[in-house]
Amino acid sequence: MFNLLRMDLYRLVRSKSVYICLASLMAASLLCFWMVWLIDTPEGQETAARLGMTAEIADTEDEGFHVAISGEKVSLLEGYNTLLMFREIGMDGGAYVFIFGIVIVLFFCSDYSSGFMKNIISLHRRRWMYIASKLIAAAILDLCYLAICLGFCLLLNVLFHNLVPAAPAADFLFYLGHIFVITMGFAALFLLICTFTRSTAAGVLAASVLSIGILVTLFGYITGLFGLNQWVSYTLYYNQTYAPSAYSGMADLKGYAVGAIFLALYAAASAAVLTRKDI
Amino acid sequence: MEQGIKKQSALAVETISLSKIYNGKAAVSHLDMKVQEGAIYGFIGRNGAGKSTTLKMLCGLARPTEGEIRLFGKSADTPISARRMGCLIESAGLYPHMTARQNAVMKAKCIGLTDPEAVDRVLEATGMNNTGKKKAKLFSMGMRQRLGIALALLGNPDLLVLDEPINGLDPESVREIRQLIQRLNEAGKTFIISSHILGELSKLSTHYGIIKDGNLVEQITREELEQKCVDYFQIEVDDVNRTLPLITENMPGIQTEVCDNATIRLYGLKEASGLNQLLIKSGIQVYSAGFHHMDLEDYFLARMDGIRHEENGNSLAKKCQ
Repeated sequence: MFNLLRMDLYRLVRSKSVYICLASLMAASLLCFWMVWLIDTPEGQETAARLGMTAEIADTEDEGFHVAISGEKVSLLEGYNTLLMFREIGMDGGAYVFIFGIVIVLFFCSDYSSGFMKNIISLHRRRWMYIASKLIAAAILDLCYLAICLGFCLLLNVLFHNLVPAAPAADFLFYLGHIFVITMGFAALFLLICTFTRSTAAGVLAASVLSIGILVTLFGYITGLFGLNQWVSYTLYYNQTYAPSAYSGMADLKGYAVGAIFLALYAAASAAVLTRKDI
Repeated sequence: MEQGIKKQSALAVETISLSKIYNGKAAVSHLDMKVQEGAIYGFIGRNGAGKSTTLKMLCGLARPTEGEIRLFGKSADTPISARRMGCLIESAGLYPHMTARQNAVMKAKCIGLTDPEAVDRVLEATGMNNTGKKKAKLFSMGMRQRLGIALALLGNPDLLVLDEPINGLDPESVREIRQLIQRLNEAGKTFIISSHILGELSKLSTHYGIIKDGNLVEQITREELEQKCVDYFQIEVDDVNRTLPLITENMPGIQTEVCDNATIRLYGLKEASGLNQLLIKSGIQVYSAGFHHMDLEDYFLARMDGIRHEENGNSLAKKCQ
């Protein structure tokens, strides 16, 4: 399996999609920071005015950004810290899982589309090793992406004159661990879909639909009509979106458990599908 | 079945009652293939006969429904057995955005090769060492096949399974690949090659396996095939029903084969003037006549079309069509 992993990492490093998707995540972070800086800081507002931008103050209270309350100006970033910024930019809405999902779907499916799978499986008859190698490679990529995205977010905060205060390192570690397990659960799900369908299109569609919770929301509403939507809180999407930012008790570990269980289930299902199907 | 395979050396491949069933239909049925070490085994069959399915099972790409595969005397499922085999099935599996060297490095990593020169050696052996930074997606069919063989050669396997390795190649590339296979065979490697280009296969193979509808109908050595592929004299006449008894009565020792309602083949005929005179005297119109040599293609087609052997005195009457 170590040989397979070395091969996968060799290919990952040479895949353009890895860099393109990482660049798009970083570009999204940069854009978000710049927009907040433009709106929320006097220097930014001056720049916005120079650029010919106009702003309209809304008279409503948004759940995330407090735009204005009774004409009194309140900072958009009231109560925010670097962890919340990091979450709001890419994590909670599913943008990170979506982009990470695209990368790994392209990575998984290219073995099939290129035919290189034949070279691999003819050598490695224990096919579960292939699945294990792919998931370990995805985990390494996930860790790198999370570290780079977080590092870039912290760097942007510094470059934009500390827009928000820094969050405690322990909270970052807890949240990153949580989101890592959840994204790996998603990765195993995408791997299962790719193994089953052997189709890049199906994988990309799954990454698009599942990462932003379209199916969970839809079925959550439908089952909610009958009062049967408690299952939603045990989905990967829910635990990604509503992940706790800090550890306050055992209940906060639910996301870890959900991610780990789905990861194990989907990995086992992928191995079973790959073992049963001919190449 | 298994005709003429002598016990000369150890078996590189042995399948025991190997079967593969798709949706209730047997693609391969109780196949008992025996390939000796050092052989070039030409695996012949029509489209859909079960060649690729058999080769996929040998390479671990398809799971047998039933039966056993043994490579060099051991189960094919062990990692050691799998490493003794290199495969090129259907088309070369290459990452299109990678160069020839990068593709080879990928396979080398997959095998776990630590010798950094192993990649250069196989690229050189297949003439793919000078492709530079050209991506695999820009390779010609011949280059792709050569690189596919290079990947199969990585790890110095003892057995190479090549499914249609010369399909779509220009004559020069075909010759290069033939020479490469011959060189490697001389170095002791065993080959199983499936191809529809029987003329080319007959230049290489030391053994043949003929598969029809998932059944291995015959395994034969080159020498045995040569014995069977005798010269024959073929005549095209206006009335086969009158001609055949005439030959049987007047030309003892000559074997006949009826190919269609106008064509007869005669085996064992050394000289044709006597036959010509006989036919003219009997008022039989002869449209064409001439000596021919039966080659692998003729033999294969005869086997495929279900030769009807009928002992008729000293004649062997066959129906080609």
